[in-house]
Amino acid sequence: MEEYQPHHEEIGFNADEAHNIVKECIDAILGGVDYNQNNVNQWTAAIVEQSLTHLVKLGKTYKYIVTCAVMQKSGSGLHTASSCFWDTTSDGTCTVRWENQTMNCIVNVFAIAIIL
Amino acid sequence: MSEISKDKASRLLKKRGSVSSVSSPDIKMKEIRSRAKDSVSTVSYVDEPTHHDDASRPAVHMENTYQLGPDRCFPVDAVNHILKDVLTNYLQEEKYEPELCRQMTKTIAEVVKARVKDLMIPRYKLVVIIHIGQLNNQSLHIGSRCLWDDANDTFASFVFRNTSLFALATVYAVYLE
Repeated sequence: MEEYQPHHEEIGFNADEAHNIVKECIDAILGGVDYNQNNVNQWTAAIVEQSLTHLVKLGKTYKYIVTCAVMQKSGSGLHTASSCFWDTTSDGTCTVRWENQTMNCIVNVFAIAIIL
Repeated sequence: MSEISKDKASRLLKKRGSVSSVSSPDIKMKEIRSRAKDSVSTVSYVDEPTHHDDASRPAVHMENTYQLGPDRCFPVDAVNHILKDVLTNYLQEEKYEPELCRQMTKTIAEVVKARVKDLMIPRYKLVVIIHIGQLNNQSLHIGSRCLWDDANDTFASFVFRNTSLFALATVYAVYLE
């Protein structure tokens, strides 16, 4: 009789999972607030720290880099590009874009595998 | 010189670009929507390898090297110098233009990655992030946190400004344990 083997050996970074986690963090912190110069500092810090904490709770053997850019909507342009030199089978990235009427928020997550 | 690297960068992107065709329809739709609303376009070009390709390639199991730390530390000063060099050379005379800057961010990211790779620091993985934006008296806040091994992993960054635009370049170096 075959035993059911749970698929615990996941190859590569699960971008969808990370996307959901980060989106929840942003909604919790920035949902329903307007851009405020005084608070932006603590918002970016909170978003990044909470995302990182939740990602760590997944319990996977990854090093994480989380960056967050919050910009006031003023009609000016912002371009972001990233280029990574890593092992594509095990490492991955995920970008979450979020906006409301007064501001834009871009969060990047880079996950780099640790080989045990 | 910039023409050659622009060509090289676009060729590199085209080579990998064929794999990312899945994401491009979404990106085009988003662009149209943001132009109609007359708001900032937040489209980012993601060049991701398709996951089913990776799953068919078995993960390589490396043998133990019994090495506890890197032979050579990551030279943060040298990389800071590279970032300053590249950003100043490419952007000193430029004015902010959407099409130009879109191409420029991708090109600069590739160029910086190539130059840092040329330093040949073994066992280090690199993540290069470039932000280029228009200077308009608006407020922008960029923050990052990293969960890594503080002894071996590090980052380098540089901010460049001229009359019409600003550019932020960051390189994260992560040691492969």
